[in-house]
Amino acid sequence: MTLNTASEVISLSRKLEEESKSFYQALAQRHPELSEHFLSFAKENEKYTREVERVYYGVITDALEGGFTFRIEPGDYRISTKLQEEISLARAIGAAIKMEEKLQKFYMDSAEQSKSLMADIPRAFAQIVRKRQNRIEELRAMVVMNLNRHEFRSSVY
Amino acid sequence: MLPFMVPLWYSPFALATGNTFIVKPSPRDPISQVKLAELFDEAGIPPGVYNLVHGGAEVSGALIRHPDIKGITFVGTSKVGKDIYQKCGEMGKRAIVQGAAKNFMIVMPDANTSATIPALMTSFFGNSGQRCLSGANLVIVSEEDIFYNKFLDAFVTAASKIKVGYGLDESIQMGPMQSVDGKERVLSYIERGLSEGANLVLDGRQPKISGDYPDTCFIGPSVFIDVKPEMIIAQEEIFGPVAGVLRAKDLDTAIEIANRSRYGNGNAIFTSNGKSAREFQYRIESGNVGINIGIVAPMAFFPFGGMKESFMGILHGQGRDVIRFFTESKVVIQRWF
Repeated sequence: MTLNTASEVISLSRKLEEESKSFYQALAQRHPELSEHFLSFAKENEKYTREVERVYYGVITDALEGGFTFRIEPGDYRISTKLQEEISLARAIGAAIKMEEKLQKFYMDSAEQSKSLMADIPRAFAQIVRKRQNRIEELRAMVVMNLNRHEFRSSVY
Repeated sequence: MLPFMVPLWYSPFALATGNTFIVKPSPRDPISQVKLAELFDEAGIPPGVYNLVHGGAEVSGALIRHPDIKGITFVGTSKVGKDIYQKCGEMGKRAIVQGAAKNFMIVMPDANTSATIPALMTSFFGNSGQRCLSGANLVIVSEEDIFYNKFLDAFVTAASKIKVGYGLDESIQMGPMQSVDGKERVLSYIERGLSEGANLVLDGRQPKISGDYPDTCFIGPSVFIDVKPEMIIAQEEIFGPVAGVLRAKDLDTAIEIANRSRYGNGNAIFTSNGKSAREFQYRIESGNVGINIGIVAPMAFFPFGGMKESFMGILHGQGRDVIRFFTESKVVIQRWF
């Protein structure tokens, strides 16, 4: 079902951030050596939700004002957040990168589609796109940094 | 004397500048104000600083006459507003009176259609058209039939797809009218439009309602075409989800049509041409002016002002104006020996 209203899109954003947060929390438990990174991602997820909500409540003066802007298909942004028992760190990071790319696409599309609203709204979405790009790069760097570790190498190759 | 959440245009400024504040909500929608007063209470505002008094015209009259009340702010119809403004004058009270509106949304042939349509849907049909910043008349500027027909078709198609239903369901795009009276009023304007010869190309009188709700207050988006500036439906505030479409050959004509209105609250132009935008912003007689913005609501740090019969007073709501309204100014002339 296509989402048209800003509140539906914000609810979807909240759900996606929540799922992504749980994924990183689970990852942090599984890999204590990188838990600091993963928990900081989980914390950022909460921040993204707050940022979007703050702009929404600050700029859109009533819920219906943003009721005609979006054409978001939730199915396009379904993310896989289940960590399999035996998954290696490398594969888990690979899954995280895929998830981040999908989330980035969701915010990119939301930014594009909300251009007819006050500029603060697409700007808020665009800012999360940028922050997610940094996160993707950080995740990629984790892969590179850990390449020399045996466990990591064997799971990559 | 303020409807809905409009007291927030004033109360934070009044309290911050050391005043006490009495809200008399509209008797038609008092609940949001009760909630707000509870929040003020919860926040620890001392008793007597933020006050809520319910009632109708009698209560308003008592507030205006009360000697301890220094100023009145009002948002509502121009007719009642004029009366209040007059009484405030007689009592020597300062007043900010914001009245009715009939807002024009002017679309130039160079407008970005895909961005303009959602903005217009919000403007005309958000809140079911029940706000003073709603679009009311859509003026499509085009001598060419191609652009006019294409844009009109996009506008009507988008309006026809609006999901009407229970307003707290987040997938719903348009809720009900605030009251049965309100719906009746809108229906009577639709009848009026038909009798005046306008062509109802989208009829919202029998809306499809999402969910199992009685149709007591629901009305769907309606669009009239072939509307002429002299028609009642082009002049009076309908305060509902009814768009009147007018056609102008050029920007000058569009501005001239809009400026003929006795109201001047929030008019907007949709264009990608800087010259058209500048012409519009300088020449349109409107307190709030939008460039590619459907609801021209200023942020709280800017004054909210109407013109002509949409506003009575000198200082506007919000921003610096309202700070001046809620304070006394002094000039100190000094010399030291």
